[in-house]
Amino acid sequence: MTGRSVFGTDPTVAAVRREAFMRGARATAPALVATSIWGLVTGVAMIKTGLTTAQALAMTLFVYAGSAQMAALPLIAADAPVWVVLLTALVVNLRFILFSATLWPYFGRMPLFRRLGLGYITADISLAIFMTRYGNAPVDQRGNTEQVWYLLGSSGATWLSWQPASILGILLAGLIPGHWGLEFAAILALIAITVPMFQGRPAVAGCVTAGAVAVLAAAMPLKLGLLLAVLAGMAVAMAADALVERSTGGTAT
Amino acid sequence: MMSGSEVWLTIIGLTAVTVVTRNTFLVLGHRVTLPERVQHALRYAPACALVALIVPEVVLQSGALSVGLGNPKLVASVVAVATLLLTRRAVAAIGLGMLGFTLVRLL
Repeated sequence: MTGRSVFGTDPTVAAVRREAFMRGARATAPALVATSIWGLVTGVAMIKTGLTTAQALAMTLFVYAGSAQMAALPLIAADAPVWVVLLTALVVNLRFILFSATLWPYFGRMPLFRRLGLGYITADISLAIFMTRYGNAPVDQRGNTEQVWYLLGSSGATWLSWQPASILGILLAGLIPGHWGLEFAAILALIAITVPMFQGRPAVAGCVTAGAVAVLAAAMPLKLGLLLAVLAGMAVAMAADALVERSTGGTAT
Repeated sequence: MMSGSEVWLTIIGLTAVTVVTRNTFLVLGHRVTLPERVQHALRYAPACALVALIVPEVVLQSGALSVGLGNPKLVASVVAVATLLLTRRAVAAIGLGMLGFTLVRLL
């Protein structure tokens, strides 16, 4: 290979990076159609809410957080104060703070700007796929070249399936009648992304708990019920983990 | 509906929310050491967060619990989950889910 490429000029390093990047992208492939549909529907929803084309394009390209955008839109339509919209989006996005804590042991020693870039483009799916692959990686290998480029491949594929679809939704929104109920396709897309994460009994127990608490606490202001649900789900998953370990005679205490 | 300048302010603010939340620990992590147990628990965060986003959208209709065959979103979601568990095909799940959703709404 000659000349510069995104994978660098050193052929040996570039080969490692390219291979890891492609593996990350391939691992993400099953979720990409669902991500595109979710992006398309979010694009349509932004225009239907009353955003101009320029505002909708800026929102998808810079905010790049579908669930926060979807939570913000009804508030924008209702002329809520800006700080209420931001606080609501913050609570919806609090899970990303948990994700960043998950990534820290791996990428905490990278240069600041690369860290910021990697954190910014890593959303739900890529994090789940990365942790499925490298969740048990030995401590001394954490954050090596292979892992960085695997995550970049997964996040890059997600970005490339979200943005064009979202832009298409923005441009075609005028042609789609409201009564089709297309907004619901976004929920089905989320379901398609989530179900493959139900692996093992602790995860299932945690998810059932999170769903139940989210419903019970749905009336809480600023979507705080969501936060409560995630914490309850994680606690139950951990408790179930301990039970499974005890019954199988696992090594953990 | 917000004014144009308020929408722009919101978009800038939301961008900041994304950047800050996705990077909080990546930037401040060296100041805090997370116990191994907490790190382990965090692995369950993505699935729990997604489920907590989805379930209220499906079973609540204008704030009231609706868990019967008359709730098109619930029927469609059950169809989608069953399709995923049986075939692992996302496109089929979304397609059949939308079909179920439309049929229940029309009936």
